[in-house]
Amino acid sequence: MKRLNLVVFIMALVIAGTANAQNVDEVVNKHIEAIGGKEKWRTINSLKSEASLNVQGTEIPITLHQLHNKAFRQDYTVMNMNAFSLIRVDSGWNYMPFQGQTSPEPLTAEALKIGQEQLDIQGDLLDYAAKGNKVELLGKEELEGTEVFKIKLTKKSGNEVTQFIDTKTYYLVSVANKLNVNGQEMEMKTNYSNFQKLPEGIVVPFTMESSALPAPMIYKKYEVNPSIPESVFKLK
Amino acid sequence: MRKLLFLASVFVPCLTIAQTTVSSATFGTMEARQLGPATMSGRITAIDGVNSENGKQLYVGTAGGGIWKTMNGGASFKAVFDKHCQSIGALTIDQKNPKIVYAGTGESNMRNSVSIGDGFYKTTDGGDNWNRIGGLDSTEHIAKIILDPSNSNVIYVAAPGPLWSNSKHRGLYKSVDGGKTFDKILHISDKAGCADIALDPKSPNTVYATTWEFRRLPYLFNSGGDGSAMWKSMDGGKTWKELKAGLPPKPFGRIAFALAPSEPDKLLAIVESAKTGLYISSNGGEQWKEQSAVQNVVARPFYFSTLVVDPYDAKRVFRPAYNFSFSDDGGYSFAGASGNGAFPHADHHALWINPKNTNHMYLGTDGGVYMSLDRGSSWIYLESLPVAQFYHVAVDSKTPYHVYGGLQDNGCWMGPSSAPLGVKNADWKTINGGDGFWVTPDPNDEHTVFAESQGGGVVRVDTRTMKKADIRPQASGKEKKLRWNWNTPVVSGAANKKNLYVGSQYLYRSTDQGRSWTRISPDLTTDDSLKQQQETSGGISADVTSAENHCTIFSVAESPLDENLIWVGTDDGNLQVTRDGGKTWANLSTKYAAAGIPAGTWVSSIEPSGFDKNTVYASFDNHMYGDHKTYVARSTDLGQTWTLFNSPEFSGFAHKLKEDLKNKELLFLGTELGLFGSIDGGLNWFRMKNNIPWYVSVRDIQIHPQTHDLVVATHGRGIIILDDISTFRDLSKEVIEKDIHFFATKPMVLTTGIFGYGGTESQGGWVAPNAPAIPPFYYYLKDRVDNAEVKLDILSPEGKLISSLPGTKRKGINKISWGQRIKGPRTANGSKPDRSSFIGPQVLPGTYSLKLSVGTKEFTQPLVVQHEEVNGFSLDDRKKQYQAAMELFALHEQLAVTVDSIVSKEKVLKEAVAKETKPKARKKLEASVDKLELLRAELVPVKQNSMFADETRLREDISALYQSICFSENAPSNLQLENLKQLRLKVEQAGVRLLAIK
Repeated sequence: MKRLNLVVFIMALVIAGTANAQNVDEVVNKHIEAIGGKEKWRTINSLKSEASLNVQGTEIPITLHQLHNKAFRQDYTVMNMNAFSLIRVDSGWNYMPFQGQTSPEPLTAEALKIGQEQLDIQGDLLDYAAKGNKVELLGKEELEGTEVFKIKLTKKSGNEVTQFIDTKTYYLVSVANKLNVNGQEMEMKTNYSNFQKLPEGIVVPFTMESSALPAPMIYKKYEVNPSIPESVFKLK
Repeated sequence: MRKLLFLASVFVPCLTIAQTTVSSATFGTMEARQLGPATMSGRITAIDGVNSENGKQLYVGTAGGGIWKTMNGGASFKAVFDKHCQSIGALTIDQKNPKIVYAGTGESNMRNSVSIGDGFYKTTDGGDNWNRIGGLDSTEHIAKIILDPSNSNVIYVAAPGPLWSNSKHRGLYKSVDGGKTFDKILHISDKAGCADIALDPKSPNTVYATTWEFRRLPYLFNSGGDGSAMWKSMDGGKTWKELKAGLPPKPFGRIAFALAPSEPDKLLAIVESAKTGLYISSNGGEQWKEQSAVQNVVARPFYFSTLVVDPYDAKRVFRPAYNFSFSDDGGYSFAGASGNGAFPHADHHALWINPKNTNHMYLGTDGGVYMSLDRGSSWIYLESLPVAQFYHVAVDSKTPYHVYGGLQDNGCWMGPSSAPLGVKNADWKTINGGDGFWVTPDPNDEHTVFAESQGGGVVRVDTRTMKKADIRPQASGKEKKLRWNWNTPVVSGAANKKNLYVGSQYLYRSTDQGRSWTRISPDLTTDDSLKQQQETSGGISADVTSAENHCTIFSVAESPLDENLIWVGTDDGNLQVTRDGGKTWANLSTKYAAAGIPAGTWVSSIEPSGFDKNTVYASFDNHMYGDHKTYVARSTDLGQTWTLFNSPEFSGFAHKLKEDLKNKELLFLGTELGLFGSIDGGLNWFRMKNNIPWYVSVRDIQIHPQTHDLVVATHGRGIIILDDISTFRDLSKEVIEKDIHFFATKPMVLTTGIFGYGGTESQGGWVAPNAPAIPPFYYYLKDRVDNAEVKLDILSPEGKLISSLPGTKRKGINKISWGQRIKGPRTANGSKPDRSSFIGPQVLPGTYSLKLSVGTKEFTQPLVVQHEEVNGFSLDDRKKQYQAAMELFALHEQLAVTVDSIVSKEKVLKEAVAKETKPKARKKLEASVDKLELLRAELVPVKQNSMFADETRLREDISALYQSICFSENAPSNLQLENLKQLRLKVEQAGVRLLAIK
């Protein structure tokens, strides 16, 4: 934890909650079809999930609450200390007592901007044009032995994300984010696997491996469209 | 029968399709580590910076290490061209949209060892993705790219073209569509290309260009001829006129020139001719005047082709050449760098001036990038570019082992394969100067290495003092003048480690570290006098550096199975063998030629098999005759007949074939354009790409006999190590056809690592990761696992689950690392964190069980964990350490329960206080709460939360001792055990005191 880069660390967790992305129309459509279809995803307005990081046998439990386009909060416990990250449309907060913080601290403007881009839990690819996102198919290539479509997604803000969609399953198996932090380019790679269909008909990954996290994040449970009280997203 | 054949024809294709092919992806997570170093870096060929970023954002092109990008002025660099050709000739940013960058591959500093490019590339996203465009794929060398400042879609590319052959793919090319297509707008001949170009920024249709006629042969370099000239066009390249007035008489060689952007009629040129000199024009090149200049300004024009004028001040002229010269009066007088700070490595090829602060500049040399803040008077070395250009690599048997090698223009070096907190620049030691090639550690003497500089400068070095003895064999009077290759082989015996071989045209052997030599061969070359013209090399200017020495021995190998069986390859096509230690020799040059390998080619490496005396492999390099094909062959009859290996994967001329030490089917091949492997004895090959630049020049390959590491010398990306290739050896055809395979695990020695936990973090520069201290467990997945979890459970000898670790799911080989520890204890809650919950005691030796689960499928195997006595740490000591650690583990958990009880009791009491109405009773309850809180405050921190705060309580005392014992390789001391006893007492007392509080 000594070398933890806070911004990247937070982003890794935030992105964990938004494992859906998209591409040039045929690929994008097939991808969305593969993960449950447009109609189903359009109805997703909230998600609650439970996950954990297993660091050499020691588990760090994580709970994530997401309200589509409104708010994101994750709570986790490290060395007996409860920590959280919170991103809302108006502000973002971070509390890591194990890093010595005595109270929640606001995210830097840079981190907040990146974080807020992840509030869309239906994914950047669903109805991407309407959202102001652009997608470009860069071609096919081999990613860790798997043939993938390589897609560049340019968000409304101009931020670029490279997405890799398996040519066989049409699942989004990897995302490369280039974050511009303090004038430096920082790359973060996230791999997704263990895709499972939820009772609601959408397919989500139960494993997320991020280059910014010390271990894979394993999901135990997703609740789709739970009612999440506003109070969850208030600073407590 | 007919029916059967029909059935066969149906089934055979199916079988073929079903067969799993081995590729780089098969090796999954087995990724190489790039050792660097950046200590001396390598040749830099191009630098361009983003004008709007005040000198912070730059792209650096290198001779053999691809393109590197920095966002912080060189504090750190990132490689952005690893999937493409690594030799870069030119780099140009579109300053109107700096995410667009153009790269011309194939550097144009036409020295003997120069690599070859494969065209013109464009990125539109700041280097993340590159596309090869424009149809310039056969130019092989690109010197400069210039964009029209008024229209970025107009691009000029100066291509000198191929060095080793005639070609129509040379000249000045122009694109008007952003590089999609090009037209050749200046073509002289198949021998002369375009070397330099400049545009008048105020009138971009005014174009200046120089053409250059040049050619290399293996034994001769020629710079100059009728095709060399200086040209001007006033119509964007449609028509040209030659500029002559005031220039010296032709023929010319290479011309470097520059135009002053602020006063574009002012030009300077360094013209290679019989009267090579500096020429200045103040009227757009119509008239030139010679200007006297020191040798540094005018010397070696074919290699030093950079001349730059300040963007705003025509009087400030910079000449990066052998050294750095600058002028403040338009080139009439030059001064040099002060020598304060770093003295830039000799031989300069690139300079970028920050237009926002023209005293700030970056210089590219044969030894990396330097930055100046005072227009070149003093320099700072940027030590983060690991683009070292090795020719060879060797390893020793120390722990950790060291690697040794020689580098282009950077001497000979040694460095550790692992070091505390990673291998850093400062871990490398210089052994010898000049250009470096073979470095051979003496297998019999850990302090002695044999090293060399160019042209056979062989020395014996004591690595304790770095003192040297010249041991180059001398002609005795019975021999002709000795001819030494630029890259003379200095090789120790594979069967008899006392043998040391050095080859001129004769082979010499020493058995006493070079103190005496025996010539054991006649002239083994063709001794063709036509190929011995090195003294006239250079063309218009002499350039005799031993680089063109020819008819020499280039490769030597003693069979690992018989010291009398020695193989020699020469640069002029002879492949010779002796079976009697040098008494008689047989020339096999016609034998290999019968297999389709061109006669007269360089025999670049010979690899006698370690499994069968009659088997030998050789690689051949014919690129100096313009032939880039990959020639690698095997003979199983002592060289009488040869079989050529072929593969659609191959690219680049071959440098080195290496046979594995344990599995004779496992072969590795290094070429000018990549590293390749075969697991079936050369039938099928795959390109190795796992953290290895795909097209890097691989000059040499070793396999460490103890660690089983593959150690690769690249000419542009330093040393690359693939740790422990045992899993490659186990990857049989049967294994790759299985859906899942859990590789057998070797017995594992308990260790806390070889370096301990101390050290200083990086102060900058390149830091390579270490080899894993604890070997990981490997498993193979035929396909990526999409819909299941993968995990590894580790069970104790008693069958208790002690760790459960998540596994990766990629296609090919995956790995899981285990720290040999159980999971950490639950620690008591306090106001600041306690790291002990992440730390488990190291396990005891025994036979554990591994259970790999892939979804519902399970694979188990035993894991033997062993104790190895190191530094007096006995098995009995380990047991005492374990026992103490487990007692402290239990104390942590016991204390956690006590603190939990205090907190819940406090909660109950506080609720009672709130309900209690009688003041006396309430007071009593409050007193109990206070007592509980006082007790809690003795056990855990309750106020401070900083990891630096000094609120040390019982939990901290337990942790201090616990962690100290967990991370030591010692039995606990008497006082540690005494302390443990006290802590146990305190934890027990805490429980008793808690019970006493009512």
